[in-house]
Amino acid sequence: MNIIEIILSPVIALLMGLFFLGLARKIMARIHWRYGPPIYQPIIDIIRLFSQKAMSHGFIFEMGIILSLAGSFLVILFLPIGIMCPLSTGGGLLVILYVMLLGPLGIALSGGEAANPNTSIGISRKFILALCYEVPLLLIILAVITHYNTISIVEIVNRQSMSGWSFGSLPLLLSGIAYLLILPAILGIRPFEVVGAAQEISSGPSVEYGGKYLAFNTIEHGLNEFIGIALFVNLFLGGGDLFGIFASFVDTVLESILGVIVFLVKMIIVFVIGLFINAVYPRFRIEQAVKYIWVWPTLLAFVGLIIVIIVH
Amino acid sequence: MDRNQIKKWFKSPAKMGHKYSLHAIYFCTGCGIIEIPPSITARWDAERFGVIPVATPRQANLFLITGYVSTKTLKAIIRTYEQMPEPKFTVGFGSCPINGGMYWDSYNTIKKLDKYIPVDGWIAGCMPRPEAVFVAVTHLWTLIDKDMANGYIKYREKYKYYRANQEKVFGTLDWPPLFS
Amino acid sequence: MSLELLLSIAFGGAFLTYFLGKISSKLRNGFAVLNALALVVVTAMFYGQNIEKPIHISFLNIPLILRMNMVSWFFAITIVGIGLLSIIYSLKYIENEKKLDYYYFTTLFINASMLGTVLCGDLVSFFIFWEMMSWSTYLLISYKGGDRALFAGMKYIIMSIIGSMAMLLGIISLYVNFGTLEITALAAHIQGASLSYILFILIMFSIAFIIINAFWPFHTWLPDAHAEAVSPFSSILSAVLVRKGMYGLYLFMYMILGLNVLNKLTFWGISFNGVFCWIGAITIIFAALTALLQNDSKRILAWSTVGQGGYMILGVAFATSLGMAGGTFHILNHCIYIGLLFFVAGAIEYRTGGIRDLNSLGGLIKKMPVTFTGAIIGISGLIGLPLTNGFVSKWLIYKTLILGGNPLLAFFAFLGTWGTILYGYKFIHNIFLGQLPEKFKDIEEVPFSMQFPIILLSVLVILFGVLPGLPLKMINSVDAYLGFESLQVTLGGIVSETGTLSTVNIFAALVFACFIIGLIFKVSRRSTKVDQYNSYAAGAAVPKDKYHYTVSFYNPLDRMIRPYLKDFVDAFYINFTEFIKNVCNTIRRIYTGYIGNYVMYIVLFLALLILVQLKWSVF
Repeated sequence: MNIIEIILSPVIALLMGLFFLGLARKIMARIHWRYGPPIYQPIIDIIRLFSQKAMSHGFIFEMGIILSLAGSFLVILFLPIGIMCPLSTGGGLLVILYVMLLGPLGIALSGGEAANPNTSIGISRKFILALCYEVPLLLIILAVITHYNTISIVEIVNRQSMSGWSFGSLPLLLSGIAYLLILPAILGIRPFEVVGAAQEISSGPSVEYGGKYLAFNTIEHGLNEFIGIALFVNLFLGGGDLFGIFASFVDTVLESILGVIVFLVKMIIVFVIGLFINAVYPRFRIEQAVKYIWVWPTLLAFVGLIIVIIVH
Repeated sequence: MDRNQIKKWFKSPAKMGHKYSLHAIYFCTGCGIIEIPPSITARWDAERFGVIPVATPRQANLFLITGYVSTKTLKAIIRTYEQMPEPKFTVGFGSCPINGGMYWDSYNTIKKLDKYIPVDGWIAGCMPRPEAVFVAVTHLWTLIDKDMANGYIKYREKYKYYRANQEKVFGTLDWPPLFS
Repeated sequence: MSLELLLSIAFGGAFLTYFLGKISSKLRNGFAVLNALALVVVTAMFYGQNIEKPIHISFLNIPLILRMNMVSWFFAITIVGIGLLSIIYSLKYIENEKKLDYYYFTTLFINASMLGTVLCGDLVSFFIFWEMMSWSTYLLISYKGGDRALFAGMKYIIMSIIGSMAMLLGIISLYVNFGTLEITALAAHIQGASLSYILFILIMFSIAFIIINAFWPFHTWLPDAHAEAVSPFSSILSAVLVRKGMYGLYLFMYMILGLNVLNKLTFWGISFNGVFCWIGAITIIFAALTALLQNDSKRILAWSTVGQGGYMILGVAFATSLGMAGGTFHILNHCIYIGLLFFVAGAIEYRTGGIRDLNSLGGLIKKMPVTFTGAIIGISGLIGLPLTNGFVSKWLIYKTLILGGNPLLAFFAFLGTWGTILYGYKFIHNIFLGQLPEKFKDIEEVPFSMQFPIILLSVLVILFGVLPGLPLKMINSVDAYLGFESLQVTLGGIVSETGTLSTVNIFAALVFACFIIGLIFKVSRRSTKVDQYNSYAAGAAVPKDKYHYTVSFYNPLDRMIRPYLKDFVDAFYINFTEFIKNVCNTIRRIYTGYIGNYVMYIVLFLALLILVQLKWSVF
């Protein structure tokens, strides 16, 4: 429980989240054969948003955003970035799964007070999408927990550095593939971009956000992408370790720095693959999304869980 | 573009932020909107200037009045303009907002938009090409640099004048005055 | 301080309230509150005591035993606590109805009989108090009168009587076999009985407890009963009355049978506890998904009660120390936050003139902020957000399911949480968020006597969530009494060898994060306040009363899952009842009222007897 780790983790997550937003716009632009904004464009946007004088709808409108951003930062404290994990003794994956609920709930409360049906439709779609991707996600996480017989995520990362990535181990291969299939739904990129659909429901929950509220919403969006990919990298791609090549530098500052760098590189690779899918696909309707996710990824995840139960 | 000059960022980050992050509200006023999608797509890329369209006025700080303004549209324009957070900039596209343009003798259009909402700059043409859009954006940057893009301040200070003009067109307005 | 004193305060108070009501209503109200308060104080004084007190009545062969131990104390304190808050709440809520003496009398009587059930040491007095609880509940479910209330009451009483008859069969069989009905004596005798006999007895008793606790195949009385009862009584109903089934299961499975006998009850690889676990899992999913489709504020909460019961039986039937602690703690937590939520629903009903339809409310947060705070804290507890008490008990249950090697059950339990989020948000959104209709422009907050229970219960939700050590110490002693090892709890967390949970750390981190972000908030430019009619409507004026999305809130999901979620158990029961009614209707036609038919019946029957005598010489 280092003070340095507690301050450094959220800062890294914040910068990476904004970097992901900028990288998304740049790579999408290049795929479209145009130049695109500079990679630090989200920072310019946020500076501009903070200098605008917004309109607020009431007390819960402001508290909801604060709660959702605080919740996201709280999840960051529980996730190991490389070998840094400030609150590692706090209760493991169960607490992460539950604190991840604070983000959407905060946005839902504050958007509800905006008294705009576009917000309500956006939030109802968000919750329906969350219910539908939680079905395979819970099966996958339970398979991982049963395979390693622990609920602590730091323990899972350490075991992967010793015995290879989860994605490569035979019982968890199907679960890994199922996780890749639902990763766009968790991140909110196409084909599952149904929540913040700008053209259909006027950007959904953020329709009444302006000024500082929109700035916080943008940061929240970046953090959510960070958390979604970080969970995947920690559970399936070995966290901040590269086949145990750091065994010689144990417990030095160099190991922490290299661990963080390896972790971030893995996250960027996964995110870029997701962006390529985002560039190609249209937006599914919510019924199509539910029908798709409840058939194929759920089936794969269920079979993966059965395999893990049989093996143990 | 002076996006890379760090000293200017530190001196006044708000101004540089407004310059390089002009989000335009996607309000299709009249026939001029046909020239905006080409300027967003790949051939004339507006995103490299930092200009993207957003869906709602709360998220925007640039209002493009593209094309003629009928009296029915004027109500929507005023409501939308008042819902935008300050500081905000307005640009009139085409000749119709300037002096009525092609519809200079119609009973149903507004001839001088500047009487009802403050406009920071105009682009002549019927319709202006996408290159003209970018000239407008760079001109707006110069105005912001020199603190001359102060339409919103004028609206706040001379609100009685604007409101009187609006009431002359519509009779009583069904929204309360923005500034008391 | 003796147990008979407690029971006589309870019952005597009920009767005295009725008679005082004939004199003056203020006297009756004050006396009812004082009576409930006295019960809380006296029950609290019994903490930690282990008493067994036989009472001999001259004309009965068997003694009636009253007893108090940690399990009884745990249930008793929830009963008297919620009873007190409900009486305080109903001071203002019910003041415009008729038959008020009857209402106060019945509420106090139900509390007294529930108290009696948990204070029993032998099965006869248990059965007597159980029956008193059953029929008095019927009185208060159909209090409002009218078609639907009577139908709900009738459904409840028939199912409850079926359960009681099964329990009576079990009691009689036990008396015939062992000659005694005292619980401690039975616990010793039943160790030697054969496994099939134990299974038979267990099934007989479990039918009664499953029906009262509303698990999946027998849950059908609960939604109607909760929706039609008066709101203060609805909170008693779902907070403590349905948990009498859990008390019965504790009594039977753990105090009489004990853990070793239960572990031996395995037939063809399916254990008795396993069946209970799966009933719990199915209940959780079915209730969570059905609650999404409801449009009545109290019906959503009723289905929520059904679902949360599944969590308790999952923890308790899994029979590990973590699971037992989790299940027991969940009983306490559920009692707190579902009582809170029914008080909130009642407050809305009180101020809007009886509206329960979620499709016609909206935006009440601006007018009723205290009620909204209670609702959001209650819903957070129901979902199990960290820092609420629901999270701690659910964490314990999940941990034991995962580490006990049963991830499929853990999956169903987790999925129930997401269903809970959906209907919980629908409840909050349709009542408090969104656009305020014009007809509710002048609504005020509820009076203080109705706010007080809401505020108190909200504080308890947060307090037990951040400092779970406070109730967990008591639950540890409950566990130890039932024969499980206790957990190591500190004031701010739980320590176990397979991972710790430290809620104080999470609370501190969240407060710190909120503080930092709030600071950034305050430093940025102030925002202007706008009212709800200054909203984005694509440049048009915001239409009054129409700019609100409530009807079929989860419409895409609704259309997909509604065909699969038809409550076919309920339909089966209703069809079966119709069938029996038709059969009885046909049989009734024997009574034609025409005396010639009756003479013909007599003559025909005599002829039949003569025929039998001639043929087979029976007589």
